[in-house]
Parts: sequence; C-alpha cells; structure tokens
Amino acid sequence: MAEGDVKKGILKGFIKLTIILAVGFAALYLLKGILPGPSQEGYRFFPLIGSRVWVWIIAQIHLNFAAFVLGVPIFAVAMEFLGWKRSDERLDRIAYDFTKLFTLAYTLTAIMGAILMVSLPILYPKFIDHMLKILGPTWWVYILVMYGEVFVCYYYFYSWHKMKDRKGTHVAMGVLLNIMGTLLLLITSSWVGYMTTPGGVSPSGELISRWHAIKTYMWIPLSLHRLVANVVFGAGIAAAYAAYRFITAKTEDEKAYYDWMGYTSAMIAIGFSLILPGIGYLLGIEIYAFNEQMGIQLMGGFFAWLWVMQAILIGAILFCINYYLWISLNKMPGGERYFKYVKFLFIVVLLGYMIWLTPHSVALSLEEARRIGAYHPALGNLGVMAAKNTAVIISYLATFLSYAIFRMSNKEPVVPWAKTGRTIRAAIIIISSIVVLILGVYSYMVPASVRVKVLSPIQFGVFFLSIIGLFVLDNKMYKGAKILGEPRWGKMPERSQYALIGITVTFTWLMGMMGYMRSGGRQYWHVYGILKDTSPDAYLPAHGIAAVIVTILTLIFFALIAFVFWSIMKLERVVQERRQEV
Amino acid sequence: MRGGAIKLGIAVIGINLLFAYIGLYFLPQSESHPPKELKIQEGVTSDELIQIGEQILFGKGQCMVCHPMKAEPGMRAPAIDTIGKHMTEEAKERNMKPEDYAFEALVNPGAYVEKGYDNIMPPVHKPPTSLSEGELIALTAFLQSKGGRVTVSYPASLEALRAQIARAEKGGK
Repeated sequence: MAEGDVKKGILKGFIKLTIILAVGFAALYLLKGILPGPSQEGYRFFPLIGSRVWVWIIAQIHLNFAAFVLGVPIFAVAMEFLGWKRSDERLDRIAYDFTKLFTLAYTLTAIMGAILMVSLPILYPKFIDHMLKILGPTWWVYILVMYGEVFVCYYYFYSWHKMKDRKGTHVAMGVLLNIMGTLLLLITSSWVGYMTTPGGVSPSGELISRWHAIKTYMWIPLSLHRLVANVVFGAGIAAAYAAYRFITAKTEDEKAYYDWMGYTSAMIAIGFSLILPGIGYLLGIEIYAFNEQMGIQLMGGFFAWLWVMQAILIGAILFCINYYLWISLNKMPGGERYFKYVKFLFIVVLLGYMIWLTPHSVALSLEEARRIGAYHPALGNLGVMAAKNTAVIISYLATFLSYAIFRMSNKEPVVPWAKTGRTIRAAIIIISSIVVLILGVYSYMVPASVRVKVLSPIQFGVFFLSIIGLFVLDNKMYKGAKILGEPRWGKMPERSQYALIGITVTFTWLMGMMGYMRSGGRQYWHVYGILKDTSPDAYLPAHGIAAVIVTILTLIFFALIAFVFWSIMKLERVVQERRQEV
Repeated sequence: MRGGAIKLGIAVIGINLLFAYIGLYFLPQSESHPPKELKIQEGVTSDELIQIGEQILFGKGQCMVCHPMKAEPGMRAPAIDTIGKHMTEEAKERNMKPEDYAFEALVNPGAYVEKGYDNIMPPVHKPPTSLSEGELIALTAFLQSKGGRVTVSYPASLEALRAQIARAEKGGK
C-alpha cells in the first residue's frame, strides 16, 4: 500500500484479485462435493440463521463496500482536477487521502463479493441456474471489467506522486477508473433490474432476448440512483474517516486538516443527496410503469411504516448536518452575527421533521387501513404526500440556508449593489417558501395523478431553482468580498465530529433498509412473476426483525471500515518511519 | 487517542441500537406470507364461494392494493362495496351476461376500461397473482354479492370463464 513501484503495485492488485477469485471458485467446487444436494425445491439451508439472513448480510455489506469504492473515485478525481487547475496542494492531498481509502477498501469489497459468489450457488442453486441462463454472459464481462478496474485503480494510486508533473494524464486515469466503475454498476444493476422488473423472457422463464433482459424498466433509473447514492455514501464514509482522524489527532495541524476534510466530505454528501429524491421519483415512475401493483405495494402496502422509518432517518441526517453547520459558525470570524438566525432555522427543521414522520394511518398496512375505512381525523391530513413533500422541501431549503450562512459568515460584500442583493436573497427565500406552501395546500384539492405528475415536480423545481438562484447570487455578491478572517479550521468542539459520525451511520442504516425494501418489493418471487421463491424464507419478516438484521450488518460494516481506517494510519506510520530512517 | 476511538465506537453502536429499538418497539410487527392455495371443491355452495372470494380479495388477489372498500376521492379503481351493482349495470349496457362481464374484467381487464380510470388492472389469472380457475369464480361470486346477484357457481361457470381466458389469449377486445 505504501508508495512504491507502480508495476509492483499493479501486480499485487492482480494477484490479490486472482487469489480471491480462485479461492472462491475452489470453495464453490469443494462445497458442492461435500454438502448434500439441494432439496427438491432447489435450496440448501444455512445453519442457525438461515440462508436468507446469511445472504442478506453478506450481500448488503458487499454492496456497502462496492458503493464506497465506486462513489469515492468520482469526487477524488474531481478534487485532484481542481487542485491541479488551482495549484492547490491541499485539494491534491485530500484527493490522495480519498484514493488511499478506496484503494485499501477494494480488497475487502472483493472478499465480500467472493463470499457472496460462493453462497448464492450453494444456497440457491435453482435461482442462480436461472440467472446464469438469462444473464450468464454479463457475469464474464463483469469479471473482465473488474480486472480492468483493479489495473486502473492501482495504477492511479501508485503513480500519484510519480506523475505529479503529468497531472493531466493522471486525471485522465482517474476518469477512466470512474468509467470502469460505472460499467460495473450498470452490469450489477441489470441483474437486480431483471429480478424486480423482468423482461426479455417468456412467462415460463425461457430467454427470448438477452438485451431486453438487461434493458429492463428499472435498469437505468436504478443505476442513476445508485451512482448518486454511492457518491453520498462514499463522501459520508470519508467524513467519518476525517472525524475519526480529528478526534485521534495529536497536533493542531492534523486537527485543522481533518476538520476541513470532514467539512468538505459532508458538504459533498449533502449536496449530492439533494438530487436523490428526484432520481428516486424517476425510479418509482418506472416501477409503477412496469407494474402498478408492485409500485403501490412498495409505497403504501406492507412497507408503509418503513417509509415513516425512512423519514425518521433522513430527518435525523438533516438535523445532524444543520447542527454541524451551526456549530461551525463558531470557527468563522464574524460567524456570531448569524447566531440569531439559528433558532428560526431550528424551528423550521423541527416542524418539517414532525410533519414528515406523521403516519397517514395508524393501521399496519394499506389493506388494514382500507378495512378500517378511515384515517386519523387530524393526523391523517398531515400524513399525506401533499404535506410531506412540502415539509421535506422546506426542511431542505432551511438546510441550504444553514450552509449558505456558514459559507458567507466570514465575509462582507463590497459590491455597490450589496443592499439590493440582500433584498433579492430574502425575496427568493420568502417567495419560494410561499410558492411551495401554496402548491402543497393546493395538492389536497386535486386528484392524485395531478399531484404526482404536476404539482410535486413543480415544488421540487421551485426548490432547485431557488437554491441555484441563491448560489449564483451569493457568488456574484461575495466576489472580492472583504474577508473578516480565515476560518479557524480545527477549532471545533469534539461533539461536532459526532454529528458527522451520526450522518454516516444513519445513511448506512438507511441504505440497508432501502435495499431490503427494494428487494422485498418482489415479495415471494426470486424473479418477479417468473421464478417463485418456494423456500421456507419466502415471506417478509416483521419490521423489528428487519431492523435488527440491518443493525447487525451495519455494525459489521463499521467494524470492517474501522479496520480500513486503522490500516491506513498504521501504513502512514510505517511510511513516516521509513522516511525518517532515510 | 485511544479514548477518542473508543468513544466513537460507542457512538456508532449506540446509534445502531437506537434504530433497532425504534424498529422493534415503535413500528407495528407483522409478517407478510405468500397466499395459501385455496381448495374449491365441486358442489361448493354460493355462500361458501362468497366467503372464499372475500379471502382472495384481501389476500392472494391483492385487490385492496388499488380498490378502496368505500368510494373515496381520487380512487385508482372502483370501490368494492357497490361493485356488484355496478358490474350488473355495465354488463347490461354492453349487452353481456353478468358473469361474462365479470370474468372479462378479471382475465382481460384491458378489453374495457371504465371512463375515469387508467388501464392499470393486471390479468389476475397470470403471474404474479396467478389465481386458479376456482379462485377466479369465487372472487367473482364475492364481487357480484356486493350489490348485485350472484350468477356464478363452481364448476358450472368454468366454461364461461375459459371462453374469456381464450379470448384474452387471442388478444380479443
């Protein structure tokens, strides 16, 4: 891992991947020979916890690592590019630190992938036979691309310092790395897309068109959703790393650097998370287009209460990020001028949170609600999408304001139109909030299709327009502004770092839960409507059980990530000692 | 330094346990099992058919995902509590036998979509719903009982049902 010969580094990567794959295939071959054959229904059973829970945990941890190693390179390259263009050493250092993180995480990703590669054909042979029959060739392409990815990744990392005079070529390598990563993502999304919204096969599961089995309803929206979520997640983990390094830092310089890294990573995570609801909406539209019943089941059937849980989690993330930004005002010279606004922002975010997590009905499921035939007379009005969308948008707007205040808090505009600029800024905030509120109230009076297809997209559109407007306006107004003092990086209380950890842990838990919901949408089908799940696990567990499993896998993931962090610190020490010896 | 790492570890575990606690004690707990195959035997009475049909409506048929029990604004599909009456009137208007109209609505729903609704109903004899012939007749009996006259029986209505399935396979409208 330490800097060294590029060729040696790449070779090491190839050997590692080949050994992991070889051990995987050997284990598969041996286990098939040793274990008794599958049941008549086509299953083997994992001892104690059952096959489903085992595959669930392994698949989700693998997915978390995969999200991390595919998401981080996107902004690592962006940072390297910016550092190169602006001749900013600090940006180059953070990009290199990000690269260290994902390069080391590759090995764990591959190991978890290999365990999954062994588990699925052993425990679910009938299902894997079907998948290979329909999408088999894509698996071999996947392995090829994986080798390509390892080559480019290790080249990118090991050549970082050697190519410092050829930054353009090095950045191009980073772009190539991201292209490889996106290809891997497209391939794996095609598998999940086929399982959930199958196409290209006959009703009995015979292949008609492989391309149509790849190009399903879900394929592109799921890939897009994952791509953006990977960036959010990767940045979140990078923020957690920075928090860990901040808390364990020995010098003021270290504290300053990791404080800045934590802030940068958290802002990338939150910035990209703003796009997620829109892409999620697109994914939802495709699921509804494939099968209206599946869409309704996912959104309001058995999973209705998990959407309340989602609101609890995203609301917690918003609270953590706002809290972090409010504390951050302390390190900005001039930040105290904005303390007075914090309480109002707090009230807005709190009200939004309360509305968001109001359930539509106290019934367990949509069926139960329909049997009862009525919703709660007061809460029922807040628990609908009209109120929730409005509350979410206003909360996000408040969060953006917290960010904008922080960015501008140590500056004083000097442009002659500063007063007008401030008035325009206030007008944008007030008018957009009023428009979002009016549209929200009007949403109660129109049919569901008008609300879903017209009013909600307009609400999101108004939100995006207003934040773009505010961003552009602030950039113009604060160009050449008087600086009241540089941010005192590192002068942050320790509790601020726990807010960063809170964001990352909550987001990881959320990913686990949403992955379960997406998968559970197939109900008792391996491939929806094509291949039935006839195993003893063909049912959806109680929400509490699902929550416990998501908790366990999230804890395992964080234990492994802590190991990655620890390894990086250990390697840094080794490199430093070697340098000192030299 | 070690103390900081331990505190962080405790924070990670604490947040996770909090979410598990919310999942266990704040959310309703119930499992969702695949529907059981309902056996319908020859000579089943009309009342028994209606009873089985109700179970299918709330279970395997997943009808309640889209159909409300009582009419409500913005509903995606017709309300169940008056659907029998509604189907009888529509069948008369289209000059069809009530059972033919009902079977068509279940196995070939795109053939006739009532004004004001989108064509979202899936043919329920096909996967993923996969209702059997007996289940389709039982469901029809229950739907007809909601404000209309039950005209189907098992196995006498099989012929009419199969005719509608054959029409659907040919893409008949």
